[in-house]
Amino acid sequence: MSRGDVIIEVKGVTKRFPGVRALDRVDLTIRAGEVHALTGENGSGKSTLARVIAGMHQPDEGQIIVDGAEMRFANPADAIGMGIVMISQELTLAPTLTVAENIFLGRLPKTRFGTINWPQLDLDAVVALDRLDVHVSTRARVADLSVEVRQEVEIARALSSGARLIILDEATSSLSEAATARLLALVRKERDKGTAVLMITHRMPEIYAAASVATVLRDGVLVAEVPLPATRQDKLVRLMVGREILDFYGKRAVAAGETVLEAENLSTLDGTLLPASFTLRRGEILGVAGLVGSGKAELGMTLGGAIASQGVVRIAGRRVRLGEPRHSIAAGIGFVPDDRKASALLLVRSVRENFALAWLDRLARGGILDTRREAREASEAMTRYQVAAGSASVPISTLSGGNQQKVVLGRILARKPSVLVLSEPTRGIDVGAKSQIYRLLQDAADEGAGVIMISSELTELLGIADRIAVFFEGELRGIFDARTTDEATLAHVAVSGARPNQTPDAIKTGVTA
Amino acid sequence: MRGQNDRKAATSDRFGVGPSALSRFVQTPYAGALVSILLVSVYLAASEPVFATWANLMNIIKSNSVVFILALGATYVVISGAIDLSVASLAAACSMVYGLILTAGLPAIPAIVLIVAFGALLGALNGYFIAYLKISFLVVTLGTLSIYQSFALILNSGTSISVYSMAAFKPLYAFVNGSAGPIPMILIFDVALLLILGGALKYTGFGRAVFAIGSNREAARLNGINVPLVIFGVFTIAGVMAGLGALVQAGRLTSAAADVDPTILMTVLAAVLIGGTAFTGGEGGVFGTMIGVLFLGVIQNGLTLSGVSSFWQGMVSGAILIAAVWVGGVRQISRRKKQSVKP
Repeated sequence: MSRGDVIIEVKGVTKRFPGVRALDRVDLTIRAGEVHALTGENGSGKSTLARVIAGMHQPDEGQIIVDGAEMRFANPADAIGMGIVMISQELTLAPTLTVAENIFLGRLPKTRFGTINWPQLDLDAVVALDRLDVHVSTRARVADLSVEVRQEVEIARALSSGARLIILDEATSSLSEAATARLLALVRKERDKGTAVLMITHRMPEIYAAASVATVLRDGVLVAEVPLPATRQDKLVRLMVGREILDFYGKRAVAAGETVLEAENLSTLDGTLLPASFTLRRGEILGVAGLVGSGKAELGMTLGGAIASQGVVRIAGRRVRLGEPRHSIAAGIGFVPDDRKASALLLVRSVRENFALAWLDRLARGGILDTRREAREASEAMTRYQVAAGSASVPISTLSGGNQQKVVLGRILARKPSVLVLSEPTRGIDVGAKSQIYRLLQDAADEGAGVIMISSELTELLGIADRIAVFFEGELRGIFDARTTDEATLAHVAVSGARPNQTPDAIKTGVTA
Repeated sequence: MRGQNDRKAATSDRFGVGPSALSRFVQTPYAGALVSILLVSVYLAASEPVFATWANLMNIIKSNSVVFILALGATYVVISGAIDLSVASLAAACSMVYGLILTAGLPAIPAIVLIVAFGALLGALNGYFIAYLKISFLVVTLGTLSIYQSFALILNSGTSISVYSMAAFKPLYAFVNGSAGPIPMILIFDVALLLILGGALKYTGFGRAVFAIGSNREAARLNGINVPLVIFGVFTIAGVMAGLGALVQAGRLTSAAADVDPTILMTVLAAVLIGGTAFTGGEGGVFGTMIGVLFLGVIQNGLTLSGVSSFWQGMVSGAILIAAVWVGGVRQISRRKKQSVKP
């Protein structure tokens, strides 16, 4: 296979999920030795397309042609068999095994006796890592490695398995600047060796640093395929957005009321969140930004009572007992955790029971559940929060991510909390559901709740929040007025930890640093 | 397969109703066991005339009552995502204490109350270690399996205590072996327990919390459920049921015995699993457990009536357990596949 040969061709692919058409007759051609950027807003369908190519989703219509022959991938293993490997944010390494074992998992070299040939494994792993210029012990346990190195190990695994097309799904979203640069250098190197790379990202610098062609999706439809760097950045952005951002997030008159939450020197015991102090008003949406490991996730868990912490939190002047979710709930804090599957959903139970989970204390009188009231309130909530499901008695696992999230959010909103704390509430859900969730948050704020929204998407925070707090290495580095700041300023603080006094438009409301 | 499901979905859409009663029944995890009971019963009724007699059927009920009562408690434990390996030993300990307190001259009713309370205490001990000291349920109940068993043996140096001639035993004996007309009292007792525990599971906040914890412990905690307290409660219920089981056993055997039938734990867990309560937690119910107990009971009875050596019975019930859970697993996987439509 030489450069320029078509490796994979996607023709007229349509993929529907309940209530949304994620992809609508999309075409895509990927050639050997090419870095192809697949871009678009969150929810534009770029990840869905990547998942179709990688065999994780099966298209409803259309063809996937590999080396000139139409393929039907039933699962990712089929795609891997054809040399198509996807590397996503959710890493798929076995944490308790070593680097070498992970690289050759499932194809460990064997001796004549059928036992594992450890010296050979070590040697092979060194070769695989050397190819990428990655310097890590082949015998290190993956659990002890940083996210960046884990990602590199995953790439080493993909390449050593003979991958011809590597799909990087938002692979840089949890990486530092330096690590991103390294990854991009690596991508260019592999490209020069003839590997094709499909890079899914909406970050302009990365696109221009590595890609020679970009495909833009919007709402599941192919907007354009443009050459790079010939196409200018402003044109690319226009293609991606294609509409007024304000409509997407919903306009809201800021009418912040009295202070509802005061946090003083709030910190976790393990140092992942250093003492932070801030206040929140009724009707206000406070965005929280920062990289992975910046402490922003811990801030949410602390307020929700999910992890042990110290410091003082007052809701409407009353001190909250920290460290147990039920105390936070009693104090009027509604917490939506970031990992839906791991910490929010009862996957095997019905939609109704998932709603009722947050209302058990109110539905039970003397311990006995009022199941009629439960059924009534659950069906009302399904209507109010626009949950698309066959009925309230289907298992929640049958719903799309967006609808699951509306249940998780709805059951908290229904309690009318004074303070709503949401961690990555729009992660992994489609664009339609996102817009509805923004609407619900705006409504909650309008009705007088203070909202804290923790998110990795700066655009989303700028679109919805009134103020944005930025965390860096566990520390609250500044709180910015969303009307006067921009993505670059926030990203600068999030990545480098620059103090607010180095950025002119900081508002120093309650910042202790 | 896929086409079939699509058609089915299309049909239910067209009529604007959910899945039909039949397909709902097929989806229930104990449907297989229930159908099997009927088939086996029809076969036995035809081949063994004794099988279908009232006396024999009630005999099945009576001889499986202890297993049933223990399995009710075990159902709670398994739904919460744990297993209690100690129930049989716990029951043996209760049984020996019962023998001793009757010997010591305690009257009938206080003795019964005390044994139930003692079962609750031993169960609560399990629960305390698991819920509050956060030791794995396998470790704790494996440990107490030995401890409670050993305790039972120590109490009377391993010999059983005959309570038959004791006056305070008479009311229990009369209850366990008595009947109201043709209905054995023990059947009424079993049904009452079934309704109480089934109702509590379905219609109380506690029951809902048990399901929630078994399904996703962290989600339960984050939504304000006092997880340690519920787990403590679940093991305490298992202890109460073991206490009741010990009393029924004593009533039937007319003695307090320290040596537990080693297969009873296996039978209890098998019944729970065959009844569709998943070892992964969060799913199941006591009605399924009843089906599971009946299924194993009917099979055992059939084998005995057919003159099959009792040595074979373990082989048959073991094979049935594996087959039943396999069938359940296959059904679950096909259901998951059908539902895997999430973006």
